[in-house]
Amino acid sequence: MAAGGAGGGNKTYSFKVVLLGEGCVGKTSLVLRYCENKFNDKHITTLQASFLTKKLNIAGRRVNLAIWDTAGQERFHALGPIYYRDSNGAILVYDITDEDSFQKVKNWVKELRKMLGNEICLCIVGNKIDLEKERHVSVQEAEEYAESVGAKHYHTSAKLNKGIEELFLDLCKRMMETAQADEKAKGNGASQSGAARRGVQIVDDEPQAATVAGGGCCSSG
Amino acid sequence: MASGALDGGLRPLQIAMKLANAAVELEAGERHKEAYCEYLRSINYISQTLLEDAVSKPDGEMVTMEVERMLRLAEQCLERVKSYAGRRSDIASSSLLWPRLPPRPQRRRAEKGGDVAPKTSPRPAPGHRRVLSDGSPVGDGVAAPFLPPEIFHKLQEAESYDAKKELTPIEEASRLNQKLKATYEARLARLPPGQATQKTSLTLSLQRQMMENLIIAKARQDALHRKMEERRLRLQEEANRRFAGSGLITPEEQEQRLLYANVLEYEQDHDWPKLWKAKMKKDPGDAALVAGLIAYLLSCPDHPVMKLLKRLQYRIYNRLYPISETSFDGVSRDLNANEEDPAPASEAPPSPRPRDGSFEDLERYLATPDLSPAPGPAPGPDDDARLLSLEERALREHLRTIVKDVHNAVDRLLSLCLLSFECLNTASAKDVCLASIEEAFFAPLWRPLLALFRKVHRDREQAFEAGVRLYRDAAPGDVGVAPKLFPSDPAALQGSYPYEAAVLELQQLSRDTCPQKKLECIVRTLRLICVCAEEYRTLQDPDAPPSTAAIGADDLLPILSFVALRSALPQLVSECAALEEFIHEGYLIGEEGYCLTSMQSALSYVESLGGGAPHR
Repeated sequence: MAAGGAGGGNKTYSFKVVLLGEGCVGKTSLVLRYCENKFNDKHITTLQASFLTKKLNIAGRRVNLAIWDTAGQERFHALGPIYYRDSNGAILVYDITDEDSFQKVKNWVKELRKMLGNEICLCIVGNKIDLEKERHVSVQEAEEYAESVGAKHYHTSAKLNKGIEELFLDLCKRMMETAQADEKAKGNGASQSGAARRGVQIVDDEPQAATVAGGGCCSSG
Repeated sequence: MASGALDGGLRPLQIAMKLANAAVELEAGERHKEAYCEYLRSINYISQTLLEDAVSKPDGEMVTMEVERMLRLAEQCLERVKSYAGRRSDIASSSLLWPRLPPRPQRRRAEKGGDVAPKTSPRPAPGHRRVLSDGSPVGDGVAAPFLPPEIFHKLQEAESYDAKKELTPIEEASRLNQKLKATYEARLARLPPGQATQKTSLTLSLQRQMMENLIIAKARQDALHRKMEERRLRLQEEANRRFAGSGLITPEEQEQRLLYANVLEYEQDHDWPKLWKAKMKKDPGDAALVAGLIAYLLSCPDHPVMKLLKRLQYRIYNRLYPISETSFDGVSRDLNANEEDPAPASEAPPSPRPRDGSFEDLERYLATPDLSPAPGPAPGPDDDARLLSLEERALREHLRTIVKDVHNAVDRLLSLCLLSFECLNTASAKDVCLASIEEAFFAPLWRPLLALFRKVHRDREQAFEAGVRLYRDAAPGDVGVAPKLFPSDPAALQGSYPYEAAVLELQQLSRDTCPQKKLECIVRTLRLICVCAEEYRTLQDPDAPPSTAAIGADDLLPILSFVALRSALPQLVSECAALEEFIHEGYLIGEEGYCLTSMQSALSYVESLGGGAPHR
């Protein structure tokens, strides 16, 4: 079936994207919106919204996305790393009306950076902007935080179908750039990228992640 | 079939075949004694019929063809009987580990002789597959002990036994000589007493003839040898030319050259590779053709690919055996089958371990303290702990090497396969190739491999068992399944429980012996969960549009945990750990990988219910 990683030449890119976020932030609706919008219901796989695939065409290159939903519940986190190993991208969703869900995103960012280093493209997504009136996470805070950890920040509303298409398109482009840079760095070794990345790579805490842990957040509660 | 020479319902040949067939079936069903008797009965019947016929009818009444077929059948039955007689003494003296007769080529011959065997497969059913593969605790619950490597090896050879093998010149000559000798003895017996000169002359002439035969045969054999050797060298050179290039050659390259020469040699003796290659050339994209070729290759035990497969299998089995043999496999059991026995299962009698194990160091560690207390002064608790951790380390290390060996073996097989059939070197054909090779390769190895994994993951399995014991009867809601995703009224399910279909599917996992098939089973389980979830949801809220309620991981994992609990199979932990090692990365990114990951996550959650520490 799929040849893991990104192929060289004119081959199709296969990217794995993990979806992280607390229980009620709406990540399932977000990804369902994205996958059912352009295509019809049959693109919802037999695993419903847990595992979705999407085929794209960006700048003449074919891209296959495999979107892995993860459980938000704390009790399933022990095996988090096996979900996001070999991921090319991660979408970390929080609910703008729920400060707590934003804190969770910060924890995941730390863990992802620790396990995958800088190879993974991070998207931090404030969902439910249709509930702007009840916002509890300030736009400035969220965006500053995202920048400080090398992530991009997006605002979406699954309900109004806002910002979702842009989010995924942007992520795909970034993952393609990363893959291309990777290919160049490795010379001809592009086809080996899947095998080379087998297993979880552990790197030391990034200095930026450390500073974030120190003074990134302003309010607690 | 038109000759009804003997009337009265069934013809004798048909009756004889029926009898023989019954015997074959008994043998297949492991009912050896009955099979033995049935074979004898068949022979008895045949000789009785022939005798009656010969006595009662004038010459030529019975069609010669039928007599011949009857006789051939009798011969085949006699062969089985003989092999039983031989076996019996073997079994009595050596061990009871080998529950099955070895080669059963007679099935193949019987087929030619008279449609006795079922017509399903023209090649002999691989015996060891059957013996080793049904480790399914779901099935019979009794795990058969592992065969000692020597017997495993014999089995492999039996499987590759070729009934049509030609005799060497010497063998032919010795047959001829035996016939001569028989004639000589007959003549001698007919001689009137006192004819000493004639007797001497007969004896001398016999000796001369026999000697001549042998000398001729020897010369022919030598010539043949020389020719074969010349050919071998020529082919080896051809192989070397093909790999020419680099100055220094590694042992691997050396081996590859040798193997390739073997392939060339094989192709001189057999036509089928050429025929298949021609077919492939005509229609390179035909997936059915690719599958056909690979299936054919796998059915040719003499092909170098298959020989290599056997060799590598044996090597790995040999390394697994000293450990798996003291397997924890028969120890931890299917919880469903042992409801009334809550004692932690760890007192299975250790079976005798062979002394010639290739891993003496490990054997020492594996004089497992959990199975038999070490002799001599009782070790203190510290020693115990140290020994345990040493053992654990050694086991893990061993597991790692074995996993590496397996990967290595599969790689080598694939590359030899592609070398033999360059036409298979396309992305899709390669996948088919790999899948088939793995299926054949893992079939006899999965059970001992799993036993090793189970030893290494024993703690996790025990935690899982504890979790199951605590939560076996829990409702879906107790493990966090959303209320909308299971029927609030259990009666709505008419005697079954929620997600039963998925549980039953998951319990089939141990049936297969090939990683890919197991992975498919996990995928089916998750799909069934989604189907059930959808059903339960519409039951409660018939108006909701289907897509808005599609379940995500937040819903899926609690359900999956529930299903894992209900399956009550602690070995799932080890099966999944093994799958993770043996599934190709290409699959890990897709749906299969997602399902395996989710399954592991759910298992880990069940372990945590039983007090197990997170293992990663």
